[in-house]
Amino acid sequence: MTLVIDDLSFAYGDVTALENIAVEAVPGRLTAIVGPNASGKSTLLRCIIGSLRPGRGRALLDGVPTRHLRPRIMARRMAYVAQRSAVSAAFTVTEVVELGRYALPPSRRLVEQAIARLDLADVAHRSYAALSVGQQQRVMLARAVAQLEGAGYLLLDEPTSAMDLRHQRDTMTLIRELVGEGVTVLMVMHDLTAAAVEADVAWLLQSGRLVAAGLTSEVLTESRLREVFNVPFEWLESASGGRRLAPITSSRGGG
Amino acid sequence: MSGRRTRLITGMAALGIGAAALAILSILIDRAPGGVVSLAWPAASYARFRLTALAVGVIVGSALAVSGVLLQALLRNPLASPFILGVSNGAGLGVMVAMYLSFAWRGTELGQLGQTGPAVVGALGTLSVVYALGQRRGWLDPVSLVLIGVVVSTICGAGIMFFQHLVPTGLRGQFTTWIMGHLPQGTSGSMLLICGTITLAALVLSMCLGRAMDAATLGDDEARSIGLSIGPLRLGMFFLAGLLAAMTVTLAGPIGFVGLIAPHAARLVLGPRHTALVPGAALCGVILVVGSHAGSRLIDVGAGQMPVGIFTALIGGPAFIWLLLSGRGQS
Repeated sequence: MTLVIDDLSFAYGDVTALENIAVEAVPGRLTAIVGPNASGKSTLLRCIIGSLRPGRGRALLDGVPTRHLRPRIMARRMAYVAQRSAVSAAFTVTEVVELGRYALPPSRRLVEQAIARLDLADVAHRSYAALSVGQQQRVMLARAVAQLEGAGYLLLDEPTSAMDLRHQRDTMTLIRELVGEGVTVLMVMHDLTAAAVEADVAWLLQSGRLVAAGLTSEVLTESRLREVFNVPFEWLESASGGRRLAPITSSRGGG
Repeated sequence: MSGRRTRLITGMAALGIGAAALAILSILIDRAPGGVVSLAWPAASYARFRLTALAVGVIVGSALAVSGVLLQALLRNPLASPFILGVSNGAGLGVMVAMYLSFAWRGTELGQLGQTGPAVVGALGTLSVVYALGQRRGWLDPVSLVLIGVVVSTICGAGIMFFQHLVPTGLRGQFTTWIMGHLPQGTSGSMLLICGTITLAALVLSMCLGRAMDAATLGDDEARSIGLSIGPLRLGMFFLAGLLAAMTVTLAGPIGFVGLIAPHAARLVLGPRHTALVPGAALCGVILVVGSHAGSRLIDVGAGQMPVGIFTALIGGPAFIWLLLSGRGQS
């Protein structure tokens, strides 16, 4: 299975959001899509799933433009979680997770498994609307996990942004497990440390252009991040031996 | 048996029994000229009229409710109702224009049967305009639909007032009676058959769309990603909802609040899943319209039988405010 972004450009009216993006997803790997605000990360995901019509170029899934694939066919190969998800009905958590099986044969086992993997068993029968935003993010991720069977593509737009630290860690562990099971994950991330530590591959965007794509260690370099984010970065060593990418503040003598 | 299934069966049975009881009651209520109310099976000559009004009530109640469910799903807005698309004011403008032309050309009043054609033309014409203008990037857009619907409805309202200004005072009274909404007793059998068939077909079709409407409660991108073709679904829901609303206006005039309240009442009993919600809302719509009809025949304020539209508004208005204040209208 291949996912190729072929010279893709997109504009919201007169405002260019993506320009000549050409890159190929690495199968069975976690790819972090990083970049400053308004660099086109979310727009790129929406072009890939076929929600937005590119002005030029296309996203090809196994050689077929995703825009031309019927949603039912797409749903068997690709799941997506938006940055902000709303449900305009008073569904319970289980009912929302079951929506992941809309175009696929119903499977109570996969739904229950997804609920358990996202640590949602305690709230499975509660109303989705009554949950915190972080819990809602986990529900939507469970919905996408219930949709995937084996290898496929999982597109995530900042899926842990409202989660507490424990659930951020657990969710990243789950995503790594999914990658281990053969799922190809494309994930918009703002936490550069998490991107550097967890992702295998990184796509770095700036003002709608792809600045670099490749192994995370080669893309997220201090010099390139300084250039793209206009802030100097450095790797900090913790007492436990871990490393963290952090912007250098003026009080610490940085530029 | 799972709790969900038990809830569905008992809820649906309760609504069915309630609707049947009110239907029988509306036939049996008899008001003597002195105002004394009794319950008795009417003489054959009266029974036909009462059964006709009941049939209109069942069709209008269920059609408005199904239309409401479709529109609330289409617009992702639990406070949407069939007339938000401007259908009632469009039909009203059609009737008012016909009244004016009948008066201006022939110097006569427009008969009740003569209102049907103009109401259909007005309602469907309004729907067409709202459909044409309520699109963004080639697909129906919920926010644009609501805004265009409100604006077109307001323009039609201004048109109604303009033609009311042109006709004599007596004709204004005829229009006022029409716009209050009532269940006519003289509707032809063929008209009832056509409208009944349309309503039943729309009900079954809407139930078939139930799972798709569940999926459409997600945002557009996520709904597409789980396999839903959102554009064709919206188109189908728009035309089904519009057709049902237009049909009810031609049958009984604009009867407000049924399409708003009936879906919520059904949600309280059956839950939010659309496959069960559609028939449940249809039963709630029947209960509301037929119950209001029975109520209007029970209560005599000295000015003849009260139009059923006033009754549904008196029930629906406070219920709407309760929905808003209780927060149930938010989800």
